[in-house]
Amino acid sequence: MGAELGKYKSCVSARSTDKELLKCAQDGGIVSSLFAFALDEGIIDGAIVAATKEFAAKNPSKVILDSTNFDMIEPWRPIPAIVNTKAELLAAAGTKYNISPNVALLKEATRSFGLDKVGIVGTPCQMQAVRKAQLYPIGMRDVGASIALAVGIFCMENFPYQSILQLVEDHAAMKLESVKKMEIGKGKFWVYGKRGQVVQLPLKVTHKYEQPGCHVCLDYVANLGDISTGSVGSPDGWSTVFVRSKIGDSVWAKAMAAGVFETQPIEKVKPGLELVSKLANEKITKNKATLEARKTFGVGKALRNPYI
Amino acid sequence: MADKITLGYTHLSGCTGCTVALADNYAGLLTLLDKYVDLKYMPTLADARHVQKVDVSFVEGSVCINDKLAVQELKETREKSTIVVALGGCACYGNITRFSRGGQQNQPAHEAYLPIGDLIKVDVFIPGCAPTPQMIRNVAVMAYLLLKGTKEQKDLATAFLTPLMKLTEKNEACFCELMTQVINQGLCMGCGTCVAACPVNAITMEYGKPNGERDLCIKCGACYSQCPRSWFSFDVVENYEAINEAIMAALQ
Amino acid sequence: MSKVVEISPTTRHEGHSKLTLKVNDQGIIETGNWCSITPVRGVEKLAVGKTPEQVPKIASRVCGICPIAHNLAGTEAMEASIKCEIPRDALLLRHILQLANRCHSIALHDILILPDFYIPGTETKINPFTAEEPVRTVAKRIQRLREISQTIGQIAGGDCIHPRNTRIGGMYRNVSEQAKTKMYDLAKEGLVLSHAQSEFMIAVIRNYHKRDFVDVGGMKVPMPKDLGFHDQGYLATHSFYGSSSLDECPSWDIRRFKEARPWDWYMGEMEISLEEPRYPIGGTTKMGTKVNPQMEACTGIPMYDGQPVEVGPRARLVTYKNFDEKGTQGQNIAREMEYQDCFYEMIDCLDELNTSGKVVADYIPDGDGSLGWASNEAPRGTDVHIARVKDWKVQYFSMLVPTTWNFATCSKALTGAPWQLAEVIMRGYDPCVSCATHMIVVDEANKVVAQKLIQ
Ligand SMILES: Cc1cc2nc3c(=O)[nH]c(=O)nc-3n(C[C@H](O)[C@H](O)[C@H](O)COP(=O)(O)OP(=O)(O)OC[C@H]3O[C@@H](n4cnc5c(N)ncnc54)[C@H](O)[C@@H]3O)c2cc1C
Ligand code: SF4
Ligand code: SF4
Ligand code: SF4
Ligand code: SF4
Repeated sequence: MGAELGKYKSCVSARSTDKELLKCAQDGGIVSSLFAFALDEGIIDGAIVAATKEFAAKNPSKVILDSTNFDMIEPWRPIPAIVNTKAELLAAAGTKYNISPNVALLKEATRSFGLDKVGIVGTPCQMQAVRKAQLYPIGMRDVGASIALAVGIFCMENFPYQSILQLVEDHAAMKLESVKKMEIGKGKFWVYGKRGQVVQLPLKVTHKYEQPGCHVCLDYVANLGDISTGSVGSPDGWSTVFVRSKIGDSVWAKAMAAGVFETQPIEKVKPGLELVSKLANEKITKNKATLEARKTFGVGKALRNPYI
Repeated sequence: MADKITLGYTHLSGCTGCTVALADNYAGLLTLLDKYVDLKYMPTLADARHVQKVDVSFVEGSVCINDKLAVQELKETREKSTIVVALGGCACYGNITRFSRGGQQNQPAHEAYLPIGDLIKVDVFIPGCAPTPQMIRNVAVMAYLLLKGTKEQKDLATAFLTPLMKLTEKNEACFCELMTQVINQGLCMGCGTCVAACPVNAITMEYGKPNGERDLCIKCGACYSQCPRSWFSFDVVENYEAINEAIMAALQ
Repeated sequence: MSKVVEISPTTRHEGHSKLTLKVNDQGIIETGNWCSITPVRGVEKLAVGKTPEQVPKIASRVCGICPIAHNLAGTEAMEASIKCEIPRDALLLRHILQLANRCHSIALHDILILPDFYIPGTETKINPFTAEEPVRTVAKRIQRLREISQTIGQIAGGDCIHPRNTRIGGMYRNVSEQAKTKMYDLAKEGLVLSHAQSEFMIAVIRNYHKRDFVDVGGMKVPMPKDLGFHDQGYLATHSFYGSSSLDECPSWDIRRFKEARPWDWYMGEMEISLEEPRYPIGGTTKMGTKVNPQMEACTGIPMYDGQPVEVGPRARLVTYKNFDEKGTQGQNIAREMEYQDCFYEMIDCLDELNTSGKVVADYIPDGDGSLGWASNEAPRGTDVHIARVKDWKVQYFSMLVPTTWNFATCSKALTGAPWQLAEVIMRGYDPCVSCATHMIVVDEANKVVAQKLIQ
């Protein structure tokens, strides 16, 4: 196992000790618990997460909406929001498999929201955006130093909103309103209904719906988060956690000391890091091939490679 | 101090917002001047009136080619500096002066403004309007390492500055660049960074992808250069922690 | 026989300008011309045809030191033209933003004028960037004051150099309770620091003007007691903010305004006949150089009731607070006196601000082409913008900016001073030159265009 997992100080399988929180969370409730703890401890004074329409209706001043008429915002469309309490965190927990432009709120968080210590959760590419903004703050005045905790979530690919609509309503034959949870795992796309129905789709059908920008992405496990987490590698209901930076290390140690998480050594759990590594390598190899193919995409003309 | 780098600041058709951004390093500005940078020439903050020979020149503002003095000052700046940094959207891309079309009293013939890279070779771009104090600080510290540092520090500085040097290859960046070089190229993944970077709220995210209101865009180039899919250097950004710490330590 | 000496470019202020001075045998200025030589970007002309939303964002970029005043005057001129009233909380946010900008600007001006002055009781001139005490403590305080002001501006205005939050019809966003508390705390800290800072500055300024002689580049120059005095009037439209209504602010009546071209006002072609290599730093313009302020000047000469007038901190204090100190000394002191008032006012605005109030007008008309104007008191004086908007397009836009007023007034105030102190007088006006490159203009028939617009 090498560069595909990024630099990290430690890796464990973990789960929140907060039973109520686990009910709302996607996997081990790592993200929401970490932010709740960091809010309590004053490590952050607000966090940027992917909320929902219901949250936006209750807290109109805590979100940035797009130009859609509010009534027309569909279920499962994420709305970037700033949350300050555990209750608000829970309202935004769980994975939405379509784009939530969380970084769009990063500067505003330090302006009209008045945050000094910002928490942000995001996909690996969003972590890249955050770190680029810290090192090359071209349009991000006074933002870098206020990023107090960046939590990355593993990500194989993301979807435009319409893709999720088509996957759920056409392929899985369910109304989006009645979906309780979506999940990608064990080689399948799972859709759980509020009335208990479960539909699984082979990943083969999801590929054509993926966001094209994801096909040049070379990071699976959020190498640039302070802490990064995902379900892969750990048993159901548990999460794999990489602690990566000094900030991450200190927050994680404090959270452990406060009993926020229970953990198992990653070496002891099934399927373990090997699977994480395998998937990471698969993603990177596939997307490197895409980048290679872009070089000869036209006749004597290449598509752009963003990496220098 | 002998081992400081010398810095010049040429002010062309800019608004001095870039100068204010430099000054907005607050106490850090004093540290920069104490330890790393000898400010040789800068009409606003210092007293020197004429362009001098320096290691690094910051140039603020675009150049009015209908104004002899401005053109001459720009050329002189190039001749007298080892590194020329175009500071701010105006110097890099023209920014609001791209909209200029003359006809105004008392100099109606002042109508043609160019980004400085159209008249001289520029080494480094710092886009944005205003550019940020932190970006100016980072470039100043890196320029110091490049010119005065150990081999290792020079390598780091080169890696850090490379993307900003590559930016000089193009004299145009506005929301259109985001469209043509990122979205049209199938590279956008909807992170929302461009929205945060835009100083005039010209960008909104619609269904997870940026929409630019081109009637608002002032052509500062911040969205494009801040976007992680315009350019991204793994070498540098993966070491963000060490580099950030080094810069912060330098300013202690 | 009078000689001509020229200081070009002038330093320690915003933009490019120069001083062309006709002096007598004693080196006393007989006629002084201070003029802008910054290229004219033509913002008023490029505004025509654009949307009223875009123009104030461009207008902000006319000057990076008082961008807020330009942005607000521009926005409010558009709002006046389309007849849009903005919610009270939006106006409060604008007030806070504007006051924050003024505080940062005063602090910046402190850095720029300090090198003219002496540490009281010594013969040492002040280098604001020296690491030595007592200056370092002052420099740090100045930078902290700037940090406080810029941060408040950033919260209220989205960004502090060029504000992002203002829009036609109000503001894009209100602030959170958390943000309000943060601004409050910062303003309180600023209040304490500004008290110490203005006390220090006033002592230094008075000490300088009390001297019999001052040093300029090794020359011993007598200090006149009436340095920078003039007999022109003053103009101010509000003690802090500004206005866009004649009922509210009868002191600014566009019909009393007229502008002349530099051609009628500045000196014509001359040859430099006095050169002083000792003048700091880099000496004055070379002997024999041909100069022609009439042709070179980039600004017009605005007049109120037929006279150039002074705008700025002293004009505000004279108009609203019975301030009576004259000359360069009075001007610098007035500026320092505004410091704490601004923080007090900011705190009052914060007290009043309702963070859950709406900040965008319900209805924003497209405009029918009526004339609208708005004044905003920039750090360096009254900034008036005039606009006509029809069908959401700008038909006419004009900016009458503070330093344009002061160019003519300051030129008058130069008379009688030793030429070596001309820059000191000029810096008293805290000039922002880039913005002053425009003109409202008198048409061929010598009628103010704006006057015609009213009828
Ligand atoms: C598009 C996508 C693809 C993913 N792919 C994988 C994968 O291949 N393998 C894997 O192991 N894990 C993947 N994950 C991560 C996984 O689904 C969980 O989000 C993660 O394990 C965190 O669970 P938790 O219980 O700790 O977090 P929770 O406590 O449930 O919190 C999750 C947090 O993520 C935020 N969030 C939800 N949706 C988004 C979004 N679209 N963008 C940004 N933030 C969001 C929520 O607001 C919440 O704060 C993916 C997540 C996303 C969004
Ligand atoms: S696959 Fe990559 S680009 Fe796509 S959402 Fe995930 S991290 Fe971002
Ligand atoms: S880039 Fe912006 S801040 Fe800099 S000079 Fe141009 S308008 Fe002013
Ligand atoms: S869209 Fe905004 S950030 Fe991008 S160039 Fe235009 S003004 Fe600058
Ligand atoms: S910053 Fe780049 S990748 Fe991110 S949303 Fe904007 S255009 Fe897309």
